[in-house]
Amino acid sequence: MNKIQLEEDTCKEFERIATEYKIYLEGNILKVIEPLGYDEFNEYIALAKKNDNINRKKRLEVTKQVQAQNKELQEKQNKNQTLMEDLQEAIEKDKQANASMEEQNSELKETHQKNEALMSELKDALSEAENAKTTAQNDLDVIQKKTQFELIGNIVSYALYVIVGTGLITTALYVMAIIKGSPETTLIGSTWSNLFGILLTNSFSIIGTIMGVKYASKDESSNANK
Amino acid sequence: MIIKSILLVDDENLFHLVFEDACSLLDISLTLQSVSSADEAEKMFKHYMDHPNDNQFQKPEVVFVDLNIVGSSFDGIELVRRINFHYGNGVVIGIISSSADQTEISRSLQSGAQFWIVKSDDIEPRLEDFKKDYPAYKNRTAEFKVYK
Repeated sequence: MNKIQLEEDTCKEFERIATEYKIYLEGNILKVIEPLGYDEFNEYIALAKKNDNINRKKRLEVTKQVQAQNKELQEKQNKNQTLMEDLQEAIEKDKQANASMEEQNSELKETHQKNEALMSELKDALSEAENAKTTAQNDLDVIQKKTQFELIGNIVSYALYVIVGTGLITTALYVMAIIKGSPETTLIGSTWSNLFGILLTNSFSIIGTIMGVKYASKDESSNANK
Repeated sequence: MIIKSILLVDDENLFHLVFEDACSLLDISLTLQSVSSADEAEKMFKHYMDHPNDNQFQKPEVVFVDLNIVGSSFDGIELVRRINFHYGNGVVIGIISSSADQTEISRSLQSGAQFWIVKSDDIEPRLEDFKKDYPAYKNRTAEFKVYK
């Protein structure tokens, strides 16, 4: 590339501006200006290049710092992005877990309701079974009592038949002895009297025993009910 | 030897400033143009090919291409390949990336890249080394080199 040569007046004008306002040429234009034959402008060019280098170095340092900060910020942003993604993922997982838990809760509630219904049915069944048991016990009791009463009734009936039969026979024998005037009348009379006394005693004894048994069975049943 | 014009293709705008200042301080180039996407760079090369006498847009002598150019439809190595095989014709071209992955370096070599500069906070020494090697790159006598 051909370098450019400036007119001396132009060079002097640049020098004047530099002296008065501290304004110098800068950038790559300095690289293409051909130095002139006099020292002042050569010094001007050297100073302008020096200033340009100083400024560029400063700018380079600042730019590098900004670049480093920018890189750091970018890394932090990336980290934040990753954290946000992780957080989002965690939230999603949490939501899914909640949904699953709710589903399980719902299933548990349903199972609980079924269990309660079964428990209720079970209680009803138990209650029914207890009622049936009580009814059966009562029936059994009634049957037992009925059987006992029938037995007692039979015993009493037979005992009374025997007593009444014996009483009638002995009375009949005693009456016949009186009518016929038997010498054994006195003996038969005292025997009849004794026998009748015994029969009455036995009758009352039987009646007393029956009453006692009835009373005792009443007590037992009332205790059992309590 | 000073390079007349450089094209930097990099999506990081702050690196444009760093690169421009570093090139200026090291007297590497006279002019530097920066673009942020590989598509834009390809369009520019199409223009250079279609309008070779357009003085307003002259083809750069050296092209530095970032490996991963965010917002582009293809990566830096593909851009190097397209420039080399379609529009290049004597352009010195290479990759400038913070990565030093051997597979990518091999890919870039296959695509016709002449060098690989590893980006770092201290880019100046690498550019200075590149400046020394530039004449050999221009004459196509230098071997592929990685500046670390």
